Amino acid sequence: MQFQGDTSIARFENVGLRYGLGPEVLQDVTFTLAPSSFHFLVGESGAGKSSLLRLLYLALKPSRGLISLFGRDIATTPRRELPPLRRQIGVVFQEFKLLNHLSAFDNVALPLRVAGVKEADVTRHVVELLEWVGLKDHLKARPPTLSGGQQQRVSIARAVIARPKLLLADEPTGNVDDRMALRLMHLFEELNRLGTTIVIATHNMALVERLGRPAMRIADGRLNVIPGTRNAEAKRESRESASPSRVPSQAPSPRPSAGDDDVPPGIEQFL
Amino acid sequence: MFTYKRSDLPLDKDAHSRFLPWLIAFMVFLAVLAFAGILVLRETAAKWDQGVGGTLTVQIAMTDDPTRDQRNLQEVLNVLAATSDIERYEVIDEARMLRLLEPWLGAGAKAGDLPLPRLIDVSISAGSKFKIDTLRARLGERVPEAAVDDHRVWLDRLVRLIETVELVAMLILVFICVATVGTVIFTTRTGLSVHREAIEILHLIGARDSYIAAQFAGRAMLLGLRGGLIGLALGLPALLGIGYLAESLEGGAMPDVSFGIVEWAVLVLIPLAVAALAMTTARITVLRSLARML
Repeated sequence: MQFQGDTSIARFENVGLRYGLGPEVLQDVTFTLAPSSFHFLVGESGAGKSSLLRLLYLALKPSRGLISLFGRDIATTPRRELPPLRRQIGVVFQEFKLLNHLSAFDNVALPLRVAGVKEADVTRHVVELLEWVGLKDHLKARPPTLSGGQQQRVSIARAVIARPKLLLADEPTGNVDDRMALRLMHLFEELNRLGTTIVIATHNMALVERLGRPAMRIADGRLNVIPGTRNAEAKRESRESASPSRVPSQAPSPRPSAGDDDVPPGIEQFL
Repeated sequence: MFTYKRSDLPLDKDAHSRFLPWLIAFMVFLAVLAFAGILVLRETAAKWDQGVGGTLTVQIAMTDDPTRDQRNLQEVLNVLAATSDIERYEVIDEARMLRLLEPWLGAGAKAGDLPLPRLIDVSISAGSKFKIDTLRARLGERVPEAAVDDHRVWLDRLVRLIETVELVAMLILVFICVATVGTVIFTTRTGLSVHREAIEILHLIGARDSYIAAQFAGRAMLLGLRGGLIGLALGLPALLGIGYLAESLEGGAMPDVSFGIVEWAVLVLIPLAVAALAMTTARITVLRSLARML
């Protein structure tokens, strides 16, 4: 069902989630992701960050409450109409979830092939993107032969190849050093600047503070929004919405600061 | 056809599906034999029907009066001569009768020991509209002792026997299909659980069920075709061997089992049919299993 005038990327209303008959791991979670917004998702390990992300990428259905993605209520969306929604969501999994029997090239090509893109276009886009993330020499390499950082880049390339409207990343900096973590964050900011809504689950609070983006904090299964410190406009907006039920939409961020040397120029052509 | 195209799931590395072609080969081997059996029986029944159907026997029971017997015989021969569509008729003489009865009466039996009926072997012209009832009525009017036997009773029994055997062969074919479908279902289900994680990833990336099903279906078709060809390769020599043995048997009852082009074509098509069956089964199995996932 299409909500009239609902332009949000994702909207949660009183969402509760329990596994089987266990206690609710998420309770009354309510928030809205506006187009082109950028949020962190923070909380203790086991607080429910991954569960929330799983709800967002349609790997789980909520036990109660409403979830709408791209203006569609997922509870009333038939199963056969879910794939087109999923194709608009890019996911960087915590453990990468690359297919080990496929080359880096084929892994990144998957979202395009699944969507029925012509093989000639697949080849062109995938090669260009892998070149761009610095894996030009590893097109044929299988994930187990790549380093953790390389696998991470393959997994990010797979998440962004089909130009998703929503990019979800679960601890994308969990097993890389600080320099790499910052570099990846710059990549996400660049994608955000080009219009992708981004949610990053992390426990790295230093990183969150450094980027100054709003954060959604999960504690005891409940979600609270901590406004970002990025710019005055965003701050004002978040102050105005006192209720945590609505996350302020992030104003288009300024061009990322200089020192953004890790993001090669020309990403626009891929995204 | 045998080189496997790129697949997102490593189905070609699956150990559990390696036995599938051999099981299918065995099924196809049996199917080829069963099917050939059906064809042979069909042909046999048709030939017997034709061979026996064109003849009938007129039997004249003996009376105590030899003159009457002689007159009866002459009367029957007159009727037969007057009937159109009769190609040939021949009175079987007593010596030949005794020869036919030798297994029962022994070599010492002589003419006149037993009151043997007179038999007249009649051949009907092929394709004529000859009606046995007309002949029977006409003979019954003039020679009450005459009886017409068209071998129908004997033939009907034989045909019924052949039909029963044919039915059994068809049941075997059905069982073979069921067993093949079952084997493919179990192999596919194992594949689904082995690759559960990869399938989940494909789903999350936005793959439709049909995209995943196509990979399993393609694999099953390949394995089915491979097994089908092995089965055919084993079945055809077996068939030719049986045919050769049957030919070397000196029996008039054993008909010629050579097949026409259509029969051979159908036999050769069995592997393709099995491949299609395996493919469809795998596809339906995957779609039904995935429908239960989110």
